[in-house]
Amino acid sequence: MKPYELQDVPTPNLLEDTFPYSLPPLIKFEGKIKETIDGKEVEFDPNEVRTRDIHITDTTFRDGQQARPPYKREHMVTLFEMMSRLGGPKGVIRQSEFFLYTKNDRDTIDACRALNLKYPEITGWIRANKGDFRLVKEMGLKETGMLTSSSDYHIFHKQKQTRKEAMQQYIEVVEAAFEAGVRPRCHLEDITRADLPGFVFPFVQKLERLSEQVPQHMKVKIRLCDTMGFGLSYPNAAEPRSIPKMIWRLRNECGVSADRLEWHGHNDFHKVHINGASSWIYGLNALNGTLFGFGERTGNPPLEGAVIEYVALKGGLNGVNLPVITEMAEYYERVIGTTLASNYPFVGKDFNTTRAGIHAGGLRKFEQIYNIFDTTALLNRPPRVAITDKSGTDGVALWVNDFLGLQGEERLTVMKVARIQRWVMDQYEKEGRMSSITDQEMEEQVKTCLPEYYQAHRKN
Amino acid sequence: MTREEVAARVVGVTAQQFAMKTSDIKESDQFTVDLGADSLKSIELVAAYEEAFGLSVKEEEALKVQDVGGAIDFFFRLLQ
Repeated sequence: MKPYELQDVPTPNLLEDTFPYSLPPLIKFEGKIKETIDGKEVEFDPNEVRTRDIHITDTTFRDGQQARPPYKREHMVTLFEMMSRLGGPKGVIRQSEFFLYTKNDRDTIDACRALNLKYPEITGWIRANKGDFRLVKEMGLKETGMLTSSSDYHIFHKQKQTRKEAMQQYIEVVEAAFEAGVRPRCHLEDITRADLPGFVFPFVQKLERLSEQVPQHMKVKIRLCDTMGFGLSYPNAAEPRSIPKMIWRLRNECGVSADRLEWHGHNDFHKVHINGASSWIYGLNALNGTLFGFGERTGNPPLEGAVIEYVALKGGLNGVNLPVITEMAEYYERVIGTTLASNYPFVGKDFNTTRAGIHAGGLRKFEQIYNIFDTTALLNRPPRVAITDKSGTDGVALWVNDFLGLQGEERLTVMKVARIQRWVMDQYEKEGRMSSITDQEMEEQVKTCLPEYYQAHRKN
Repeated sequence: MTREEVAARVVGVTAQQFAMKTSDIKESDQFTVDLGADSLKSIELVAAYEEAFGLSVKEEEALKVQDVGGAIDFFFRLLQ
Protein backbone atom coordinates (compact mmCIF):
# COMPACT_ATOMS: atom_id res chain seq x y z
CA MET A 1 0.00 0.00 0.00
CA LYS A 2 1.28 3.47 -0.84
CA PRO A 3 1.08 5.56 2.34
CA TYR A 4 -0.86 8.83 2.19
CA GLU A 5 -0.74 11.24 5.12
CA LEU A 6 -3.32 13.90 5.91
CA GLN A 7 -2.09 17.36 4.95
CA ASP A 8 -3.92 19.73 7.29
CA VAL A 9 -3.62 22.90 5.22
CA PRO A 10 -4.41 26.38 6.58
CA THR A 11 -6.24 27.47 3.42
CA PRO A 12 -8.42 25.40 1.09
CA ASN A 13 -6.99 23.85 -2.03
CA LEU A 14 -9.69 24.53 -4.60
CA LEU A 15 -7.70 22.98 -7.46
CA GLU A 16 -8.21 26.12 -9.50
CA ASP A 17 -5.81 25.02 -12.22
CA THR A 18 -8.50 22.58 -13.26
CA PHE A 19 -11.57 24.37 -11.86
CA PRO A 20 -10.94 28.05 -12.70
CA TYR A 21 -14.64 28.92 -12.28
CA SER A 22 -14.21 31.72 -14.84
CA LEU A 23 -14.22 28.92 -17.45
CA PRO A 24 -15.79 25.47 -17.62
CA PRO A 25 -13.59 22.93 -15.78
CA LEU A 26 -10.54 22.24 -17.91
CA ILE A 27 -9.88 18.81 -19.39
CA LYS A 28 -6.26 17.81 -18.93
CA PHE A 29 -4.34 14.71 -19.90
CA GLU A 30 -1.25 13.30 -18.28
CA GLY A 31 -0.02 10.90 -20.92
CA LYS A 32 -0.70 9.10 -24.13
CA ILE A 33 -3.61 6.75 -24.75
CA LYS A 34 -2.63 3.28 -25.84
CA GLU A 35 -4.70 1.13 -28.18
CA THR A 36 -4.04 -2.32 -29.59
CA ILE A 37 -4.53 -2.65 -33.34
CA ASP A 38 -3.67 -5.88 -35.17
CA GLY A 39 -1.86 -7.05 -32.05
CA LYS A 40 0.42 -3.99 -31.93
CA GLU A 41 0.28 -1.09 -29.55
CA VAL A 42 -0.40 2.31 -31.09
CA GLU A 43 -0.50 5.62 -29.25
CA PHE A 44 -2.75 8.65 -29.37
CA ASP A 45 -1.57 11.93 -27.89
CA PRO A 46 -4.70 13.56 -26.44
CA ASN A 47 -2.83 16.82 -25.83
CA GLU A 48 -2.80 17.28 -29.62
CA VAL A 49 -6.30 18.74 -29.37
CA ARG A 50 -4.88 21.90 -27.86
CA THR A 51 -3.01 22.69 -31.07
CA ARG A 52 -5.02 20.84 -33.73
CA ASP A 53 -7.76 22.83 -35.51
CA ILE A 54 -10.65 20.99 -33.90
CA HIS A 55 -13.99 22.60 -34.64
CA ILE A 56 -17.72 22.04 -34.78
CA THR A 57 -19.96 21.59 -37.78
CA ASP A 58 -23.70 21.97 -37.61
CA THR A 59 -26.58 19.92 -38.93
CA THR A 60 -29.43 21.57 -37.04
CA PHE A 61 -31.27 22.32 -40.25
CA ARG A 62 -30.67 18.89 -41.83
CA ASP A 63 -30.52 15.99 -39.36
CA GLY A 64 -31.84 18.23 -36.60
CA GLN A 65 -34.89 19.02 -38.64
CA GLN A 66 -35.63 15.40 -39.54
CA ALA A 67 -36.78 14.77 -35.99
CA ARG A 68 -39.15 17.66 -35.42
CA PRO A 69 -41.68 19.89 -37.12
CA PRO A 70 -39.99 22.02 -39.79
CA TYR A 71 -38.51 25.33 -38.76
CA LYS A 72 -39.88 28.44 -40.41
CA ARG A 73 -37.45 30.31 -42.57
CA GLU A 74 -37.14 33.17 -40.09
CA HIS A 75 -36.33 30.66 -37.34
CA MET A 76 -33.46 29.21 -39.35
CA VAL A 77 -32.09 32.59 -40.32
CA THR A 78 -32.20 33.81 -36.72
CA LEU A 79 -30.58 30.64 -35.38
CA PHE A 80 -27.95 30.76 -38.11
CA GLU A 81 -27.04 34.30 -37.10
CA MET A 82 -26.90 33.27 -33.43
CA MET A 83 -24.76 30.28 -34.35
CA SER A 84 -22.32 32.60 -36.04
CA ARG A 85 -22.03 34.74 -32.91
CA LEU A 86 -21.74 31.66 -30.69
CA GLY A 87 -18.88 30.20 -32.73
CA GLY A 88 -17.11 33.54 -32.93
CA PRO A 89 -14.82 35.07 -35.53
CA LYS A 90 -12.41 32.13 -35.63
CA GLY A 91 -15.11 29.79 -36.85
CA VAL A 92 -15.26 27.38 -33.96
CA ILE A 93 -18.64 26.57 -35.51
CA ARG A 94 -17.22 26.18 -38.97
CA GLN A 95 -20.00 24.95 -41.22
CA SER A 96 -23.75 24.40 -41.30
CA GLU A 97 -25.48 22.06 -43.74
CA PHE A 98 -28.84 22.58 -45.36
CA PHE A 99 -31.32 20.59 -47.41
CA LEU A 100 -31.64 21.77 -50.99
CA TYR A 101 -34.78 20.02 -52.15
CA THR A 102 -37.64 22.47 -51.61
CA LYS A 103 -38.04 26.10 -52.56
CA ASN A 104 -38.18 26.94 -48.87
CA ASP A 105 -34.82 25.15 -48.35
CA ARG A 106 -33.23 27.19 -51.10
CA ASP A 107 -34.83 30.49 -50.06
CA THR A 108 -33.52 29.90 -46.53
CA ILE A 109 -29.99 29.43 -47.81
CA ASP A 110 -30.30 32.68 -49.76
CA ALA A 111 -31.55 34.51 -46.67
CA CYS A 112 -28.68 33.13 -44.55
CA ARG A 113 -26.15 34.05 -47.20
CA ALA A 114 -27.57 37.56 -47.33
CA LEU A 115 -26.36 37.99 -43.73
CA ASN A 116 -22.84 37.95 -45.19
CA LEU A 117 -21.32 36.04 -42.29
CA LYS A 118 -17.91 34.42 -42.57
CA TYR A 119 -18.92 31.48 -40.37
CA PRO A 120 -20.61 29.06 -40.41
CA GLU A 121 -19.97 28.27 -44.06
CA ILE A 122 -23.08 26.95 -45.78
CA THR A 123 -22.89 23.45 -47.23
CA GLY A 124 -25.52 21.22 -48.80
CA TRP A 125 -26.77 17.69 -48.34
CA ILE A 126 -27.89 15.45 -51.18
CA ARG A 127 -28.45 11.80 -51.91
CA ALA A 128 -25.70 10.04 -53.85
CA ASN A 129 -27.45 10.86 -57.10
CA LYS A 130 -25.76 12.66 -59.95
CA GLY A 131 -28.97 14.50 -60.78
CA ASP A 132 -28.96 16.16 -57.38
CA PHE A 133 -25.81 18.08 -58.34
CA ARG A 134 -27.94 20.40 -60.39
CA LEU A 135 -29.30 21.73 -57.08
CA VAL A 136 -25.83 22.18 -55.57
CA LYS A 137 -24.56 23.99 -58.63
CA GLU A 138 -27.62 26.19 -58.86
CA MET A 139 -27.13 27.27 -55.27
CA GLY A 140 -23.46 27.98 -55.89
CA LEU A 141 -22.32 25.92 -52.90
CA LYS A 142 -18.66 24.99 -52.57
CA GLU A 143 -19.24 21.79 -50.60
CA THR A 144 -21.96 19.24 -50.21
CA GLY A 145 -22.51 16.17 -48.12
CA MET A 146 -23.76 13.09 -49.94
CA LEU A 147 -25.23 9.92 -48.63
CA THR A 148 -22.80 7.03 -49.13
CA SER A 149 -24.10 4.26 -46.92
CA SER A 150 -21.43 1.84 -45.86
CA SER A 151 -22.95 -1.12 -44.03
CA ASP A 152 -24.44 -4.19 -45.68
CA TYR A 153 -27.64 -3.41 -43.78
CA HIS A 154 -28.02 -0.39 -46.04
CA ILE A 155 -26.30 -1.61 -49.20
CA PHE A 156 -28.06 -4.98 -49.41
CA HIS A 157 -31.35 -4.39 -47.61
CA LYS A 158 -32.12 -0.74 -48.36
CA GLN A 159 -30.39 -0.04 -51.64
CA LYS A 160 -30.73 -3.60 -52.98
CA GLN A 161 -27.23 -3.41 -54.38
CA THR A 162 -24.00 -5.35 -54.20
CA ARG A 163 -21.02 -3.67 -52.59
CA LYS A 164 -19.45 -3.21 -56.02
CA GLU A 165 -22.58 -1.53 -57.39
CA ALA A 166 -22.84 0.76 -54.39
CA MET A 167 -19.20 1.76 -54.56
CA GLN A 168 -19.42 2.40 -58.29
CA GLN A 169 -22.44 4.63 -57.79
CA TYR A 170 -20.74 6.59 -55.00
CA ILE A 171 -17.57 7.05 -57.04
CA GLU A 172 -19.56 8.35 -60.00
CA VAL A 173 -21.21 10.97 -57.82
CA VAL A 174 -17.86 12.02 -56.33
CA GLU A 175 -16.44 12.38 -59.83
CA ALA A 176 -19.49 14.43 -60.80
CA ALA A 177 -18.83 16.67 -57.82
CA PHE A 178 -15.25 17.22 -58.89
CA GLU A 179 -16.41 18.03 -62.39
CA ALA A 180 -18.91 20.53 -61.00
CA GLY A 181 -16.22 22.15 -58.86
CA VAL A 182 -18.01 21.13 -55.67
CA ARG A 183 -16.12 19.56 -52.81
CA PRO A 184 -17.71 16.21 -51.94
CA ARG A 185 -18.20 15.13 -48.34
CA CYS A 186 -19.02 11.45 -48.23
CA HIS A 187 -21.34 10.54 -45.39
CA LEU A 188 -20.44 6.94 -44.57
CA GLU A 189 -23.77 6.00 -43.06
CA ASP A 190 -23.88 3.18 -40.53
CA ILE A 191 -20.09 2.92 -40.42
CA THR A 192 -20.06 1.47 -36.89
CA ARG A 193 -21.97 -1.54 -38.24
CA ALA A 194 -20.06 -1.87 -41.49
CA ASP A 195 -17.47 -4.32 -42.78
CA LEU A 196 -14.55 -1.92 -42.49
CA PRO A 197 -11.79 -3.90 -44.28
CA GLY A 198 -14.28 -5.40 -46.77
CA PHE A 199 -15.98 -2.19 -47.90
CA VAL A 200 -15.19 1.03 -46.02
CA PHE A 201 -11.40 1.06 -46.26
CA PRO A 202 -11.26 0.06 -49.96
CA PHE A 203 -13.85 2.74 -50.70
CA VAL A 204 -11.97 5.41 -48.75
CA GLN A 205 -8.67 4.41 -50.36
CA LYS A 206 -10.32 4.79 -53.75
CA LEU A 207 -11.57 8.24 -52.73
CA GLU A 208 -8.05 9.17 -51.66
CA ARG A 209 -6.69 8.13 -55.05
CA LEU A 210 -9.32 10.30 -56.72
CA SER A 211 -8.44 13.17 -54.39
CA GLU A 212 -4.84 13.07 -55.55
CA GLN A 213 -6.07 14.57 -58.81
CA VAL A 214 -7.70 17.65 -57.28
CA PRO A 215 -6.38 20.64 -55.32
CA GLN A 216 -6.26 20.53 -51.52
CA HIS A 217 -9.48 22.51 -51.04
CA MET A 218 -11.37 19.99 -53.18
CA LYS A 219 -10.15 16.75 -51.62
CA VAL A 220 -12.91 14.46 -50.40
CA LYS A 221 -14.02 14.84 -46.80
CA ILE A 222 -15.22 11.78 -44.90
CA ARG A 223 -18.04 11.98 -42.39
CA LEU A 224 -18.16 8.99 -40.04
CA CYS A 225 -21.86 8.50 -39.43
CA ASP A 226 -22.60 6.48 -36.32
CA THR A 227 -26.15 6.19 -37.55
CA MET A 228 -27.47 3.96 -34.78
CA GLY A 229 -25.23 5.16 -31.96
CA PHE A 230 -23.22 1.93 -31.83
CA GLY A 231 -19.81 3.64 -31.61
CA LEU A 232 -17.63 3.01 -28.55
CA SER A 233 -14.95 5.32 -27.23
CA TYR A 234 -13.46 2.76 -24.82
CA PRO A 235 -9.83 1.84 -25.45
CA ASN A 236 -9.47 -1.61 -27.00
CA ALA A 237 -13.13 -2.02 -27.91
CA ALA A 238 -13.53 -4.32 -30.89
CA GLU A 239 -14.12 -3.17 -34.46
CA PRO A 240 -16.27 -1.97 -36.11
CA ARG A 241 -17.63 -0.21 -33.02
CA SER A 242 -14.26 1.13 -31.87
CA ILE A 243 -13.93 4.85 -32.56
CA PRO A 244 -10.16 5.04 -31.92
CA LYS A 245 -9.40 2.09 -34.19
CA MET A 246 -11.60 3.47 -36.96
CA ILE A 247 -9.97 6.90 -36.88
CA TRP A 248 -6.48 5.45 -36.61
CA ARG A 249 -6.95 3.19 -39.62
CA LEU A 250 -8.52 5.95 -41.72
CA ARG A 251 -5.62 8.26 -40.96
CA ASN A 252 -2.75 5.79 -41.02
CA GLU A 253 -3.86 3.09 -43.45
CA CYS A 254 -6.11 5.10 -45.76
CA GLY A 255 -4.22 8.41 -45.63
CA VAL A 256 -7.11 10.71 -44.70
CA SER A 257 -5.88 13.77 -42.81
CA ALA A 258 -7.54 14.98 -39.60
CA ASP A 259 -8.94 18.07 -41.30
CA ARG A 260 -10.95 15.90 -43.68
CA LEU A 261 -12.50 13.62 -41.07
CA GLU A 262 -15.73 14.38 -39.25
CA TRP A 263 -17.76 12.54 -36.60
CA HIS A 264 -21.56 12.42 -36.71
CA GLY A 265 -23.18 10.54 -33.83
CA HIS A 266 -26.57 9.51 -32.51
CA ASN A 267 -27.67 9.11 -28.93
CA ASP A 268 -29.35 5.71 -28.93
CA PHE A 269 -27.10 4.48 -26.13
CA HIS A 270 -26.54 7.76 -24.26
CA LYS A 271 -23.06 8.02 -25.74
CA VAL A 272 -23.57 10.81 -28.21
CA HIS A 273 -21.60 13.58 -26.56
CA ILE A 274 -18.70 11.58 -25.23
CA ASN A 275 -18.31 9.70 -28.51
CA GLY A 276 -18.12 13.00 -30.36
CA ALA A 277 -15.65 14.50 -27.91
CA SER A 278 -13.59 11.29 -27.99
CA SER A 279 -13.39 11.45 -31.75
CA TRP A 280 -11.63 14.81 -31.36
CA ILE A 281 -9.21 13.20 -28.92
CA TYR A 282 -8.55 10.24 -31.21
CA GLY A 283 -7.55 12.40 -34.11
CA LEU A 284 -10.25 13.98 -36.25
CA ASN A 285 -11.01 17.66 -36.44
CA ALA A 286 -14.74 18.12 -37.10
CA LEU A 287 -17.51 17.23 -34.69
CA ASN A 288 -20.95 17.44 -36.23
CA GLY A 289 -23.84 18.38 -33.94
CA THR A 290 -27.23 20.02 -33.66
CA LEU A 291 -28.60 22.67 -31.36
CA PHE A 292 -29.82 21.02 -28.16
CA GLY A 293 -29.17 17.62 -29.72
CA PHE A 294 -32.35 17.53 -31.79
CA GLY A 295 -31.94 14.85 -34.44
CA GLU A 296 -33.24 11.57 -35.78
CA ARG A 297 -34.71 9.40 -32.98
CA THR A 298 -32.56 10.06 -29.90
CA GLY A 299 -30.70 12.93 -31.46
CA ASN A 300 -27.21 14.07 -32.37
CA PRO A 301 -24.29 15.52 -30.40
CA PRO A 302 -25.62 18.68 -28.78
CA LEU A 303 -23.86 21.57 -30.45
CA GLU A 304 -23.83 23.73 -27.33
CA GLY A 305 -22.32 20.84 -25.37
CA ALA A 306 -19.62 20.53 -28.00
CA VAL A 307 -18.85 24.24 -27.64
CA ILE A 308 -18.41 23.87 -23.86
CA GLU A 309 -16.24 20.78 -24.45
CA TYR A 310 -14.17 22.74 -26.95
CA VAL A 311 -13.47 25.45 -24.37
CA ALA A 312 -12.61 22.85 -21.73
CA LEU A 313 -10.20 21.04 -24.07
CA LYS A 314 -8.60 24.18 -25.48
CA GLY A 315 -8.33 25.87 -22.09
CA GLY A 316 -9.83 29.12 -23.36
CA LEU A 317 -12.73 30.66 -25.22
CA ASN A 318 -10.92 31.29 -28.52
CA GLY A 319 -13.60 33.78 -29.56
CA VAL A 320 -16.56 31.65 -28.51
CA ASN A 321 -19.48 33.72 -27.17
CA LEU A 322 -21.11 31.42 -24.62
CA PRO A 323 -24.05 33.64 -23.48
CA VAL A 324 -25.52 33.14 -26.96
CA ILE A 325 -26.35 29.59 -25.85
CA THR A 326 -28.87 31.07 -23.42
CA GLU A 327 -30.21 33.39 -26.10
CA MET A 328 -30.78 30.41 -28.37
CA ALA A 329 -32.56 28.41 -25.69
CA GLU A 330 -34.84 31.36 -24.95
CA TYR A 331 -35.55 31.70 -28.66
CA TYR A 332 -36.51 28.03 -28.91
CA GLU A 333 -38.90 28.33 -26.01
CA ARG A 334 -40.33 31.78 -26.62
CA VAL A 335 -40.50 31.99 -30.41
CA ILE A 336 -40.26 28.49 -31.86
CA GLY A 337 -42.35 27.03 -29.05
CA THR A 338 -40.10 24.08 -28.26
CA THR A 339 -39.82 23.25 -24.58
CA LEU A 340 -36.39 22.09 -23.48
CA ALA A 341 -36.22 19.58 -20.63
CA SER A 342 -35.83 21.47 -17.36
CA ASN A 343 -32.79 19.41 -16.35
CA TYR A 344 -31.08 19.67 -19.74
CA PRO A 345 -27.42 20.70 -19.21
CA PHE A 346 -26.44 24.36 -19.71
CA VAL A 347 -29.89 25.53 -20.88
CA GLY A 348 -32.72 23.73 -19.06
CA LYS A 349 -34.75 25.87 -16.68
CA ASP A 350 -33.29 24.03 -13.70
CA PHE A 351 -29.81 23.12 -14.93
CA ASN A 352 -28.23 25.20 -12.16
CA THR A 353 -31.17 25.20 -9.76
CA THR A 354 -30.72 23.48 -6.44
CA ARG A 355 -33.61 22.14 -4.39
CA ALA A 356 -32.11 20.57 -1.29
CA GLY A 357 -31.80 22.89 1.68
CA ILE A 358 -28.31 21.68 2.46
CA HIS A 359 -27.22 22.50 -1.09
CA ALA A 360 -28.94 25.88 -0.92
CA GLY A 361 -27.04 26.56 2.30
CA GLY A 362 -23.77 25.77 0.54
CA LEU A 363 -24.70 27.87 -2.47
CA ARG A 364 -25.55 30.81 -0.22
CA LYS A 365 -22.26 30.57 1.65
CA PHE A 366 -19.99 30.04 -1.38
CA GLU A 367 -21.54 29.83 -4.81
CA GLN A 368 -18.83 27.60 -6.24
CA ILE A 369 -19.78 24.74 -3.93
CA TYR A 370 -22.86 23.91 -5.99
CA ASN A 371 -22.39 25.74 -9.29
CA ILE A 372 -20.46 24.05 -12.09
CA PHE A 373 -18.74 27.26 -13.28
CA ASP A 374 -19.53 30.96 -13.33
CA THR A 375 -22.84 30.48 -15.09
CA THR A 376 -23.75 34.12 -14.48
CA ALA A 377 -20.78 35.43 -16.45
CA LEU A 378 -20.50 32.66 -19.03
CA LEU A 379 -24.16 31.87 -19.71
CA ASN A 380 -26.00 34.81 -18.19
CA ARG A 381 -27.68 32.28 -15.88
CA PRO A 382 -27.14 32.90 -12.14
CA PRO A 383 -27.52 29.78 -9.98
CA ARG A 384 -31.00 29.49 -8.54
CA VAL A 385 -32.82 27.65 -5.84
CA ALA A 386 -36.26 26.06 -6.22
CA ILE A 387 -38.47 26.42 -3.19
CA THR A 388 -40.06 23.30 -1.73
CA ASP A 389 -40.34 21.81 1.75
CA LYS A 390 -36.76 20.55 1.24
CA SER A 391 -35.10 23.85 0.31
CA GLY A 392 -34.96 25.19 3.87
CA THR A 393 -34.61 28.74 5.15
CA ASP A 394 -31.24 28.96 3.40
CA GLY A 395 -33.01 28.30 0.13
CA VAL A 396 -35.61 30.97 0.80
CA ALA A 397 -32.91 33.47 1.78
CA LEU A 398 -31.00 32.74 -1.43
CA TRP A 399 -34.16 33.08 -3.54
CA VAL A 400 -35.20 36.35 -1.89
CA ASN A 401 -31.74 37.91 -2.06
CA ASP A 402 -31.36 37.02 -5.72
CA PHE A 403 -34.88 38.23 -6.47
CA LEU A 404 -34.19 41.56 -4.78
CA GLY A 405 -30.72 41.78 -6.31
CA LEU A 406 -29.07 42.27 -2.93
CA GLN A 407 -25.29 41.92 -2.72
CA GLY A 408 -22.69 41.56 0.03
CA GLU A 409 -23.57 43.04 3.40
CA GLU A 410 -27.03 44.10 2.28
CA ARG A 411 -28.13 40.50 1.68
CA LEU A 412 -30.86 39.45 4.07
CA THR A 413 -30.20 36.90 6.79
CA VAL A 414 -32.29 33.79 7.37
CA MET A 415 -34.00 35.62 10.24
CA LYS A 416 -35.38 38.24 7.88
CA VAL A 417 -37.02 35.59 5.71
CA ALA A 418 -38.25 33.32 8.51
CA ARG A 419 -41.87 34.37 8.00
CA ILE A 420 -41.71 33.39 4.36
CA GLN A 421 -40.17 30.03 5.22
CA ARG A 422 -42.97 29.44 7.77
CA TRP A 423 -45.51 30.08 5.01
CA VAL A 424 -43.66 27.66 2.74
CA MET A 425 -43.65 24.91 5.37
CA ASP A 426 -47.33 25.48 6.16
CA GLN A 427 -48.10 24.93 2.49
CA TYR A 428 -46.75 21.40 2.74
CA GLU A 429 -47.47 20.46 6.34
CA LYS A 430 -50.91 22.03 6.71
CA GLU A 431 -52.18 22.34 3.15
CA GLY A 432 -50.81 19.03 1.86
CA ARG A 433 -49.18 20.66 -1.13
CA MET A 434 -47.24 18.43 -3.55
CA SER A 435 -45.83 20.94 -6.06
CA SER A 436 -42.93 23.44 -5.88
CA ILE A 437 -43.63 27.00 -4.84
CA THR A 438 -43.77 29.16 -7.95
CA ASP A 439 -41.76 32.31 -8.49
CA GLN A 440 -45.01 34.28 -8.56
CA GLU A 441 -46.02 32.96 -5.16
CA MET A 442 -42.61 33.78 -3.75
CA GLU A 443 -42.87 37.30 -5.09
CA GLU A 444 -46.24 37.69 -3.37
CA GLN A 445 -44.66 36.56 -0.10
CA VAL A 446 -41.84 39.07 -0.47
CA LYS A 447 -44.43 41.79 -1.05
CA THR A 448 -46.35 40.73 2.06
CA CYS A 449 -43.56 39.89 4.48
CA LEU A 450 -40.84 42.29 3.35
CA PRO A 451 -42.75 45.25 1.89
CA GLU A 452 -40.01 47.79 2.54
CA TYR A 453 -37.43 45.67 0.71
CA TYR A 454 -39.86 44.94 -2.10
CA GLN A 455 -40.52 48.62 -2.66
CA ALA A 456 -36.85 49.54 -2.51
CA HIS A 457 -35.32 46.72 -4.52
CA ARG A 458 -37.93 44.82 -6.50
CA LYS A 459 -36.96 43.91 -10.02
CA ASN A 460 -39.05 45.31 -12.80
CA MET B 1 -29.90 47.68 29.93
CA THR B 2 -29.01 45.56 32.89
CA ARG B 3 -28.65 41.83 32.54
CA GLU B 4 -31.91 41.41 34.48
CA GLU B 5 -33.76 43.64 32.02
CA VAL B 6 -32.29 41.74 29.06
CA ALA B 7 -33.20 38.44 30.75
CA ALA B 8 -36.80 39.53 31.28
CA ARG B 9 -37.17 40.43 27.62
CA VAL B 10 -35.50 37.23 26.37
CA VAL B 11 -37.65 35.09 28.64
CA GLY B 12 -40.79 36.98 27.57
CA VAL B 13 -40.07 36.50 23.88
CA THR B 14 -39.12 32.86 24.41
CA ALA B 15 -42.33 32.14 26.30
CA GLN B 16 -44.39 33.78 23.59
CA GLN B 17 -42.66 31.84 20.83
CA PHE B 18 -43.20 28.50 22.55
CA ALA B 19 -46.65 29.39 23.95
CA MET B 20 -45.46 28.88 27.52
CA LYS B 21 -45.64 30.84 30.76
CA THR B 22 -42.60 32.97 31.54
CA SER B 23 -42.36 31.24 34.92
CA ASP B 24 -41.78 27.94 33.12
CA ILE B 25 -38.73 29.21 31.23
CA LYS B 26 -35.35 28.60 32.88
CA GLU B 27 -31.96 29.98 31.83
CA SER B 28 -30.69 26.44 31.57
CA ASP B 29 -33.37 25.45 29.06
CA GLN B 30 -31.86 24.34 25.80
CA PHE B 31 -33.88 25.47 22.78
CA THR B 32 -33.84 22.16 20.92
CA VAL B 33 -33.66 19.61 23.73
CA ASP B 34 -35.90 21.23 26.37
CA LEU B 35 -38.14 23.54 24.36
CA GLY B 36 -38.43 21.39 21.22
CA ALA B 37 -37.25 23.95 18.68
CA ASP B 38 -36.54 22.73 15.16
CA SER B 39 -34.25 24.67 12.83
CA LEU B 40 -36.98 26.99 11.58
CA LYS B 41 -38.24 27.67 15.10
CA SER B 42 -34.70 28.56 16.17
CA ILE B 43 -34.49 31.08 13.34
CA GLU B 44 -37.93 32.51 14.19
CA LEU B 45 -36.81 32.86 17.78
CA VAL B 46 -33.71 34.86 16.83
CA ALA B 47 -35.89 36.98 14.53
CA ALA B 48 -38.24 37.65 17.46
CA TYR B 49 -35.30 38.62 19.70
CA GLU B 50 -34.03 40.96 16.96
CA GLU B 51 -37.42 42.64 16.84
CA ALA B 52 -37.70 42.88 20.62
CA PHE B 53 -34.27 44.53 20.96
CA GLY B 54 -34.39 46.49 17.72
CA LEU B 55 -31.16 44.85 16.54
CA SER B 56 -29.90 42.94 13.56
CA VAL B 57 -27.52 40.15 14.50
CA LYS B 58 -25.05 38.02 12.58
CA GLU B 59 -26.84 34.78 11.91
CA GLU B 60 -23.88 32.45 12.27
CA GLU B 61 -23.12 33.81 15.75
CA ALA B 62 -26.75 34.01 16.84
CA LEU B 63 -27.59 30.49 15.70
CA LYS B 64 -24.71 29.06 17.73
CA VAL B 65 -26.50 30.03 20.97
CA GLN B 66 -27.92 26.84 22.48
CA ASP B 67 -29.90 27.92 25.57
CA VAL B 68 -31.89 30.74 27.16
CA GLY B 69 -28.99 31.85 29.39
CA GLY B 70 -26.75 31.97 26.33
CA ALA B 71 -29.27 34.17 24.54
CA ILE B 72 -29.42 36.53 27.51
CA ASP B 73 -25.63 36.81 27.58
CA PHE B 74 -25.47 37.23 23.82
CA PHE B 75 -27.88 40.17 23.74
CA PHE B 76 -26.51 41.67 26.94
CA ARG B 77 -23.05 41.76 25.33
CA LEU B 78 -24.46 43.28 22.13
CA LEU B 79 -26.22 46.02 24.06
CA GLN B 80 -23.17 47.08 26.03
